[in-house]
Amino acid sequence: MRKSISTLFLFIAIAAKTIRLDNGVTMELVSMWRYFFGRKKENYMKIRKISAIALSVTMAISMIGCGGAAKSSSSGAGSGAADGESVKVGILYSATGSMAISEGAVKDAEVLAIDEINASGGVLGKKIEYVVEDGASEPSTFATKAEKLIDQDKVVTVFGCWTSASRKAVKPVFEEYGNLLWYPVQYEGMEDSSNIVYTGAAPNQQIVPAIDYLIELGYKKFFLLGSDYVFPRTANMIINAQCKAKGIEVVGEEYAQMDQTDFSSIISKIEAAAPDVIINTLNGTGNLSFFKQMSEKNYTADDYMTMSFSIAEEEVKTIGADILANHMVSWNYYMTTDTPENKAFVEAYKKAYGEERVTSDPAEAAYDAVYLWKAAVEKAGSFEVADVIAAVEEGGITFAAPEGTVEIAGENHHLIKPVRIGKVDADGNINTVMETDPVAPDPYLTTYEWAVEANIQPVE
Amino acid sequence: MKLKKQGYNLCFSAIVLVLAAMPLLLRAGVITSTSFILFLGKCIAFSIVAIGLDLIWGYTGILSLGHGLYFALGGYAMAMYLKLQATGGKITSFMQTGGMTELPAIWKPFLSAPVSLFLIIAVPGALAGVIGYFIFKNRVKGVYFSIISQALTWAAYSLFTGLQSYTGGNVGITEITSVLGSIKGAANMGKMSVLFYISLTILVIIYSLSYALINTKFGKLLIAIRDGENRTYFSGYCVSRYKNFIYILSAVFAAVAGALFVNFNGSITPAQMTISYSITMVIWVAVGGRGTLIGAVIGAFLINLCDYHFSSGEMVEIWQYILGAIFVVTILFFKGGLVGIVCDQIPSLWKKNPESGVVVNE
Repeated sequence: MRKSISTLFLFIAIAAKTIRLDNGVTMELVSMWRYFFGRKKENYMKIRKISAIALSVTMAISMIGCGGAAKSSSSGAGSGAADGESVKVGILYSATGSMAISEGAVKDAEVLAIDEINASGGVLGKKIEYVVEDGASEPSTFATKAEKLIDQDKVVTVFGCWTSASRKAVKPVFEEYGNLLWYPVQYEGMEDSSNIVYTGAAPNQQIVPAIDYLIELGYKKFFLLGSDYVFPRTANMIINAQCKAKGIEVVGEEYAQMDQTDFSSIISKIEAAAPDVIINTLNGTGNLSFFKQMSEKNYTADDYMTMSFSIAEEEVKTIGADILANHMVSWNYYMTTDTPENKAFVEAYKKAYGEERVTSDPAEAAYDAVYLWKAAVEKAGSFEVADVIAAVEEGGITFAAPEGTVEIAGENHHLIKPVRIGKVDADGNINTVMETDPVAPDPYLTTYEWAVEANIQPVE
Repeated sequence: MKLKKQGYNLCFSAIVLVLAAMPLLLRAGVITSTSFILFLGKCIAFSIVAIGLDLIWGYTGILSLGHGLYFALGGYAMAMYLKLQATGGKITSFMQTGGMTELPAIWKPFLSAPVSLFLIIAVPGALAGVIGYFIFKNRVKGVYFSIISQALTWAAYSLFTGLQSYTGGNVGITEITSVLGSIKGAANMGKMSVLFYISLTILVIIYSLSYALINTKFGKLLIAIRDGENRTYFSGYCVSRYKNFIYILSAVFAAVAGALFVNFNGSITPAQMTISYSITMVIWVAVGGRGTLIGAVIGAFLINLCDYHFSSGEMVEIWQYILGAIFVVTILFFKGGLVGIVCDQIPSLWKKNPESGVVVNE
């Protein structure tokens, strides 16, 4: 025991020496090592006592902290509190865990929008104050934290969530407390809660037009590849129905585990099926492994074209532009989107968070969400959640977003937004190759005959 | 020694009294947020798993890194019962997405309340029984057991995320109201209090049961197995049977906890079945102090309260380092956890001879 600690100090001392830390620090570490290594048991006992006290004090402080927090929450009585100079909103995202990298960008965009609004005078004359909560990439933590934000912090609205699992976990919380969530990520549809505004794409604003575009280009044999969770499963259910109606052959459908890294068997299945195009709904690290392993076999976009729904600027950066060159993606917004609003947004984002940062569709949708909330509050003339929801449902709330002007469709709480098919270039930029006029959201695909025929409806 | 035991029970009584007062304080308006009480309800569920883990780890010396499996099994069983109550026996939306037209046979028993309640306990219990029978019969122990328990949890996790049309994949079963209906918000305070007191009663029952158990000859045998398994064999006891029994019992505790958790949480996801979640449970016991039931309860409450309060605001990106540091310090210096600090380390500060303070370590 004692030896292990002393060795630890020795290692730290050596490490400090090698990284050329201040000499004084190194000597201090060496002397601490001697202190332990010197065969004086009393010294060791003393250290133990000190740490016992230190640990108890830490625990005591944390307990007092808990009590304090409970007290402070009790002071903010009344719902939808917008007392005094500021109004409180919540930001709920994963600061830790596997989703932290993706969700951090969304949070940054939300904070950027809030700072901009505050700099230009706030909402209804009040400054926005935000409370950040960590969902730790774990759906039930999201639910707990959503409840905490609404009930204890008395926020008037919440921005955040990324995965469908976390959205579905918090949905009943927002519905039962009658609060409002702004969800910024494209998703599988089949939902229109009156307590959520979906600022990302519905399936008919991302998946359906992308498939139509591929059919137009003359692709005939599709291979569906996805991670094994609700978005790819539902997306592929829609794509299957669409392909069947249009006479397109789906030559294979494969699902990879969320954290799968070996794609050799899936690649050999793709080789055997010989598709023209792979419809890729892999998420997260799966994309990296899949595309790396495809490129190791020297497959390029000329051999197997892919159309991806979860690869944005951030992912292009991690996977590598050389590997992804000429592959297609489908979103509503790219960093290269040519609007004056986007120039300002990209500039502000890079200025706030660093030149190397890139903006992406979810980050842009999150940025829009804050401004749309502002517009809704101003239209309602109040911060009360019920009034804001009523204003949203009345329709006509617009924002000149970086992707072009977007509008909330009152009847289903989604955005009317343009669709853009993009192609990755050798520098890692995604360039728009096809752009539509703003498309009305249709989360249940009720306006598509083939979808109605295939009975793609949730049970209720 | 007797005084110490009384102290543990007094401490537990104090915790229970404080918890019991919470809904009353809420009613009186001292606490205004119902969500905090709901969160405490989840903590009660966590402390029940912790007691179960403490029985097998602290008392019997079997380190299971896979109790999330039983926790989630209980949770899924409860969740499916509640979901089917809500849909009126029709299929759920994830089953429909998976291409099903009628309720799969494995979920049919969950249409009835008594059968569901029975299965919440029976399924994890039977699974633990089968697993335990083969593992303990073959005298697999120590780190090998821990590895097997992890592997089983991982296999179950893959199965549950893979069988999307049966289990809801990695979204799990969501949008569930509790057995008493909605418990969120000030309007449902009454129902929430009832559910809270039910959970508290279950915690008291499970604590008392465990306390009674470890004070019988059976309990002494468990400690004997922990401290000298071969000697216990040679004394003529069938060690594997004892181990299997206590393993099943702790699995059942975990399942009960999972079922309670679902009522408070409103959803169950495979995240509760992961290895990391199972290890978190072990951390509760380690920090609280293993080998004392009260340590498990304190650890579960304290770590979760810290999680709840630290992981927001300015601390949002560093809170896991703080918890990590607390855990590392506990493991390095205080094997007895917090209970060990209070009972052994702190009293030793006042004694002249520093050696006498060290009881738990070395």
